[in-house]
Amino acid sequence: MPPSPVSESLLSLEGVSRVYGEEVPVHALRDVWLDIRAGEFLSIIGPSGSGKSTMLGLLGVLDLPTSGSIRILGTEVNTLPDAQRSRLRGDAIGFVFQQFHLVPHLTSLGNVETALLYRDLSRRERRRRSMEALERVDLVQRADHRPIQMSGGEQQRTAIARAIVTEPLVVLADEPTGALDTENAANVMEIFAGLRSSERAVCIVTHDLSVAGATERRISMLDGEIVLDEVQVPAT
Amino acid sequence: MRRFGELVGVAVAGLTARKVRTLLILLGPILGVAAIVAAIGINESSKGDLKAKLRELGTDLIVANAQDTIGGFGQNPRIPEEAADRVARLPDVTSVTGTFQLSNIVTLPFAAAADYYRAFPVPIIATHLNLPETMDVPLVSGRFLNEFDESSAARVAVIGRDLANEYGYIANEPRTIQLGGVDYGVVGVLDYVLLEPSMDSAVFITFANAVEDWDIEEPDPSRLYIRAPTNTKYVAEEVPTVVSLGGPDGANTSVPTDLLDAQSQVDENLNNLTKMMGGLALVVGGVGIANVMSISVIQRSSEIGIRRALGHSRGTIAIQFLFEALVIGVMGGILGAGVGAGVVWMVSEMRDYTMILSVSGLVRWASVSVGVAVVAGLYPSTKAARLEPLETLRLG
Repeated sequence: MPPSPVSESLLSLEGVSRVYGEEVPVHALRDVWLDIRAGEFLSIIGPSGSGKSTMLGLLGVLDLPTSGSIRILGTEVNTLPDAQRSRLRGDAIGFVFQQFHLVPHLTSLGNVETALLYRDLSRRERRRRSMEALERVDLVQRADHRPIQMSGGEQQRTAIARAIVTEPLVVLADEPTGALDTENAANVMEIFAGLRSSERAVCIVTHDLSVAGATERRISMLDGEIVLDEVQVPAT
Repeated sequence: MRRFGELVGVAVAGLTARKVRTLLILLGPILGVAAIVAAIGINESSKGDLKAKLRELGTDLIVANAQDTIGGFGQNPRIPEEAADRVARLPDVTSVTGTFQLSNIVTLPFAAAADYYRAFPVPIIATHLNLPETMDVPLVSGRFLNEFDESSAARVAVIGRDLANEYGYIANEPRTIQLGGVDYGVVGVLDYVLLEPSMDSAVFITFANAVEDWDIEEPDPSRLYIRAPTNTKYVAEEVPTVVSLGGPDGANTSVPTDLLDAQSQVDENLNNLTKMMGGLALVVGGVGIANVMSISVIQRSSEIGIRRALGHSRGTIAIQFLFEALVIGVMGGILGAGVGAGVVWMVSEMRDYTMILSVSGLVRWASVSVGVAVVAGLYPSTKAARLEPLETLRLG
């Protein structure tokens, strides 16, 4: 598939650093500049401890930088109060994690619906949109199943449905295939490739070169810094 | 409103997902509220009979006993007839009946029982004719003493209901009893006199008989029963003066229901003690809620993390957990009030109490449970809100 034409900046890090600890400071990220644009399908790759998970946390506004700015559609979000920042995060970013992080007592549908809570939507509307999202990952038939009743691949597809049900600008995935077998991993990657659009970017954090090879832009990290930002022809 | 419904839904789903844990958390408020409701309910119900009796009797009957005003040690003090008339003319008084109890007269249903009734004498009361009206007591059978009996000094008597039962009296049968060896015909049986239980086993005769057969010098009563539906308290205070009018005769008055009223008051000390103990149970329940919910927050850190990632703010997370505490408080309060009411009902059935339980009391104590639960939920809610989402997602 040829790279999609990229357009406006959806998410950007501007000179972002993140230091953990005070007595013995650990520089997890050093002066990182990154711009994610609509239509991009990119990966952030690096060995353990390279700062890629820290970067994911900052890109998703789950964490705040020690210095620098995080911008969503040009708005600096790290200075916003928690309620506004959370709302923006819920609207703009969809998360997919390696361990799925589904709420165990909720069904597949219930988990997807969780992303639509407190948005002044009727229950019927929530249900309709959630079923649509499940349909996009081909999981409608498992809507009433709890996570424990589903395979790893199905759980991850539920997590993807939950991530996209809010129609986010960026889908951030942390090692999304790490807990899956080869077949399910390939399935999931195919879904991710189909998620990006002219309004949306998909960003995968991984240490797996084959996963990174499937994306169009690859950002390599080492010791908290971006060492390579390259556009590539994705492997099929 | 929609947000409120969603928060309640999330809270209920969170609680129903862990049924055993929820049940254990619920035990605290349930036991606390049930203990308080049961203790107060049983305490009040045990007085319920008295209260019911009080309602039945009314509180407007005054008893005036003759008393010597000079020295107060006179023998057989009496209230002169004209003094009784003065009392009857008081504006708030609707009815006055004078009685005089005769002594040293053996009453026998039949000769063979003489020894027994010498040992346990039956009271003989000379009475005015309007006793049933003043005491507001009907006759079980027959009639009461009337004008003809009084004017002719006919030897007729009315007996109390207990005495009738003891004598095996059959309604309206022609029957005589011996009063000091003199036969009297029984013309009626008076029903139970709740305010004067001694009348239930008494024999009533006219003052004319008392004078004629028992050498009572004057047909003057020693006791007045006064019915004053309005200003009862003031009439009771006024009667001694009206009886005395500065003369040697006097009277002291009492309102029998005052005593019952005092007895029927719920023991406040006991109530406070039980409230304190129930309150303590609720506080312990609250500590339990805080404890279990704090552990739950740690166990559910992954869920908290993912909710934060999905855009729920710290405030929303705090409110979600606070709502779980609120639901526990509401359920605990309702169930506790129900269990407490059940215990009160059971004890009332077993002990034959009149069950008394105020709905406002149930609501009040259920509300206290809600308050305790919410306060107890503050700490775990704050703890949940403060969790760093990135940390929880890594741990999870």
